[in-house]
Amino acid sequence: MSSFKREENGDISIEISTQESQVLISLSEQLLELLSQGDSHAEASDPLSHLVGISDSDELPEDPVLRRLFPDAYQDSASSSEFRRYTEYGLREKKKAHARIIYQALTSQGEIDEITPGQIPIDKSSFKLIIGNAEILDWLSGLNDLRLALAVRLGIGGGGKESADIDTKAIHNKYEVMIESDPMKAVYAVYSWIGWLQQGLLEEITPN
Amino acid sequence: MALGTATEVDSQFDLKADRPWVCIVWDDPVNLMTYVTYVFMVLFGYSKEKATELMLKVHNEGRAQVSSGTREEMERDVQRLHEYGLWATLQRDNEY
Repeated sequence: MSSFKREENGDISIEISTQESQVLISLSEQLLELLSQGDSHAEASDPLSHLVGISDSDELPEDPVLRRLFPDAYQDSASSSEFRRYTEYGLREKKKAHARIIYQALTSQGEIDEITPGQIPIDKSSFKLIIGNAEILDWLSGLNDLRLALAVRLGIGGGGKESADIDTKAIHNKYEVMIESDPMKAVYAVYSWIGWLQQGLLEEITPN
Repeated sequence: MALGTATEVDSQFDLKADRPWVCIVWDDPVNLMTYVTYVFMVLFGYSKEKATELMLKVHNEGRAQVSSGTREEMERDVQRLHEYGLWATLQRDNEY
């Protein structure tokens, strides 16, 4: 994989393999699904409330990934619930929009492998992915949400104040020594790779 | 002077306008340092120096106050920080 390049019109481009693209497509699809599953939880039954983004529910989501993406805003639970009631629906929509931008960019720009029956699809191909100048922040935020979601599975951080001081180096070492066959090692590899993507994108857009 | 009454009214009706609310960002090992700095620059219009200083405070001390104002303003800041995946809360200034 090459690094990010700034195009003349301000867009950012990167050469990405179809395989890498598939990983991001699959993850953003899963995140979209998770964010939509909660809609019945976050949507209001009253159409007017729905219209202004107020939801019936003010409880902390049950899913640990959703809990990570929508943390409490206050120390006390009563104020947090009130805040959640007025903001969670809108926040979900924004996070969905970020994930959708990643998903759509990759599915519309990526080369779809022609699968001939009886033949192994070629996954070595790559393509030039363009990230529109106006969509850079959405990408950064969407990639961050994917990392947060993976971090929940990996047990990194975790929304509790007591777990916030987990040492990044210790986490890295833990997965570094893990045996290859452990599925969590692959999850950590993807988590690290998305972090690398996010970092590369930030370096390209932030003036020194 | 009915000082006791005045205090009671204050605590009951939340009228202490001189005590601002603050927005706190908490450390999360997932969020890249460069990303946190960038979000502070974009959302608050802070210079790279100020944003970096705040990010380092979050990283080293576990949390940092990133903005202050009315309760409504701080709720808006928290909401925007949550949108970008940062772990933020709001509270009264004197509770920090």
